[in-house]
Amino acid sequence: MKSKGYNLTNRNMAVTAAASPPLRSLHRWLFFVLILITLPRLTYAQPGKRLSPEDLKKLSVEELMNLEVTSVSKAPEKLSEVASAVQVVTNEDVVRSTATRLPEALRLATNLQVAQSNAHDWAVTARGFNGAPLSSNTLANKLLVMIDGRTIYTPLFGGVFWGVQNVMLEDLDRIEVVSGPGGTLWGANAVNGVINIMSKSARETQGLLFSESIGTFLQDQISLRYGAQVDSKLFFRVYGQRIDHNPTRRLNGDESNDEWHMTQGGFRMDYYPTSKNTFTLQGDIYGGKTDSAVSDLNGQNVLARWTHLFTDQSDITLQVYYDRTYRNQEASGLFDVLNTYDADFQHHFPVRKRHKVLWGIGYRIMDDNFRSTPGLSFSPSRRTLDLFNGFIQDQISLIPRQLELTLGTKLIHNDYTGFEWQPSARIAWLPNQRNTLWAAVSRAVKTPSRLDAEIISPVLGSVQDFRSEKVTAYELGYRMTPTNKVSLSLAVFHNNYDHVRSIDTNLNSGPFFVFDNNLDGSSSGIEFSANVFLRNWWRIRGGYTFLRTKLSPSAPQVLPASVLVEAQDPRNQILLQSNMDLPKGFQLDLVGRYVDLVPSTIAVASFITLNARIAWVYKRFTFSINGRNLLQERHTEFGNRQIPRSIYQKITLRL
Amino acid sequence: MIAVLTYKPYIRLRKIIVVMLAAIAIALPQSSFAQTGVPESHVKAVFLFNFTQFTEWPEGSFADGNAPLVIGILGNDPFDRYLEETVKDERVQGRHIVIQHYKSIDEVKSCHLLYISEKDPDKVSEIIGALKKPRMLTVSDCRNFTKIGGMIGFIKRNNKIKLQANPTAARSAGLTISSKLLRVSEITD
Repeated sequence: MKSKGYNLTNRNMAVTAAASPPLRSLHRWLFFVLILITLPRLTYAQPGKRLSPEDLKKLSVEELMNLEVTSVSKAPEKLSEVASAVQVVTNEDVVRSTATRLPEALRLATNLQVAQSNAHDWAVTARGFNGAPLSSNTLANKLLVMIDGRTIYTPLFGGVFWGVQNVMLEDLDRIEVVSGPGGTLWGANAVNGVINIMSKSARETQGLLFSESIGTFLQDQISLRYGAQVDSKLFFRVYGQRIDHNPTRRLNGDESNDEWHMTQGGFRMDYYPTSKNTFTLQGDIYGGKTDSAVSDLNGQNVLARWTHLFTDQSDITLQVYYDRTYRNQEASGLFDVLNTYDADFQHHFPVRKRHKVLWGIGYRIMDDNFRSTPGLSFSPSRRTLDLFNGFIQDQISLIPRQLELTLGTKLIHNDYTGFEWQPSARIAWLPNQRNTLWAAVSRAVKTPSRLDAEIISPVLGSVQDFRSEKVTAYELGYRMTPTNKVSLSLAVFHNNYDHVRSIDTNLNSGPFFVFDNNLDGSSSGIEFSANVFLRNWWRIRGGYTFLRTKLSPSAPQVLPASVLVEAQDPRNQILLQSNMDLPKGFQLDLVGRYVDLVPSTIAVASFITLNARIAWVYKRFTFSINGRNLLQERHTEFGNRQIPRSIYQKITLRL
Repeated sequence: MIAVLTYKPYIRLRKIIVVMLAAIAIALPQSSFAQTGVPESHVKAVFLFNFTQFTEWPEGSFADGNAPLVIGILGNDPFDRYLEETVKDERVQGRHIVIQHYKSIDEVKSCHLLYISEKDPDKVSEIIGALKKPRMLTVSDCRNFTKIGGMIGFIKRNNKIKLQANPTAARSAGLTISSKLLRVSEITD
């Protein structure tokens, strides 16, 4: 165990280094000499440095045809037609934002509420319902979250253990965030939103990438990726990553014990045997620990996907995956092993001229084994859950290219509540290419998690038949691209909730309190986002989100504090990101955030904070200095941990 | 940076990196690595400029000897001013090149080269059908563009832009695409 080494502060590191001077200088010189040898062997088209029209015009047509190209933005025109509150965070948004981990990248989607609860966990939700802290995590349970098609929320409590969800951000393609029930396309648990995290294909991540960061809160992060082409149809990449994080502070200023260490590796292979077929095989493996030396977290997953195009309008996708997560946090009494097996099929085809039909089915087996402790156990401690998921939708062109109606429904079957229907209707009016007005009504269901239905502890239990929470969502939205350099999106919503989880005084024998379905209520809000190219070297994006949630008990035995256990969300939040390309390869990037106070058992004050990045791109190197949470020494976002102001430096090398 | 490299847990990792870099330095032929590359829209913009050089328009396509050559963009402009930069100060047989933007097919005026910024072949095929001014070179990156009556199609293969051409469609519009361009294009008519 190297835990000693990882706990060293930066100052101590220098001492360790000084202890082995011969080794240090030899390797250092070898490293730089090799970089110097390697660099001149690579010639044109460095990332970040664009070729001028004059340079490109010198090339012949044949030479132009042999240039490797990248598409800067992916199908933005499609997005403007989508009749839901979608926001997209691109690779560039993330790389230039100072984010080092996935939830920090999610902050850039302004239709999410993201609050860091300690060094490795976050409360993440859309349209509210970030629940109270539970064993260094939160109870937020109304999102469907996927990484490259693999669902990552746990059936244990319906939320995500964010600390173990790492991706190499340099190879991230984009993050699509749908707030609201997300139509019928998506699988179970898409109650308040869908987060779809997509990495680039192996074809888009060729070559070597090495990056290394070192800093104060982020202690260090090192990433290495190598992508290559086997033949003209087969591409692969492999990557490895190591992250060490220092602890947060307690409210009294003492160091907390939530330091975080994670090592992860993985691969992706994309095979294009013909222009109509695509095969993808990918997998990840990780291991790490947190909080105390005895914790052990690890996971392995592998996914295969086949897409076949019949015509431009008709295609099928078949996907299978296996995912194992192992979590042993002795300090907090949490020990859980989850094995997930999943298969999904989708088919998309036109019917006559005006109908586009999409249907799919999926089946998932989740084998969850929770080791009971006197303080917390589940009944039974090991349970295998089956989840069947089907959907069908028809997109009808009432007036071609002007008025599109989408009708659909999801049908899921789960072990707790049986069949659940989730219908939705959406309509989009596109008076021209620059404007989309849309409206939707959907019904979504949050089926019980193991926590809701099976918890046993001396204090808290569950009622016999915990039901699904139900929401009816009404949405209205407007998207506009007044010029090619400006895009705006506005969505307003009103959600009615029934049978939301409550904590009740137990009227029967057993524990003092039980989970029941005795909260009803509503939420309403506004989500505004904008993306503006002020100059061709200066881009700003951002958004404002307003949210008001009202929950009230529907039975006398409900604890008043139940409301705060379910929903602790800021009423107003604003995010503004500015990316500037300065002369001589310099970049100046800023992300400012305002978050309103969170009504909570431990009240969290409103705050304004700023992240800043100065980078210098020189040939294949990018060197950056990143400052985070610069405006105050420490601040609290959720629960009772304080996030410190921090800086880190980063060097990236692409070969 | 240097302090980082001497941090104890890194020493083994650094050895691995050194070995990898060494292997690459030795094995790597000049500029063979697939790169992050040139933005696709930049390459396409320069292609559009090249097409103006390789196409002959029939007599009467220009109002007079000084009339500019017009490149029209129908739909979203993917070039973000790069096309303007590319054609600035350029001349085609003595003519300046100007760029015009059209939001819909009804706005399309008499341009010489029309770039159809639309990916859905059904919509593109409607657009081609609706074009009543035949003396324009049509270009698009929609799939099978040349098979549905378009003249030059961009297709992306292995992250490179290749050309498909339909000289028959061009000829029936009175245009001549130079054999120099046809030689390097896939002919699909």
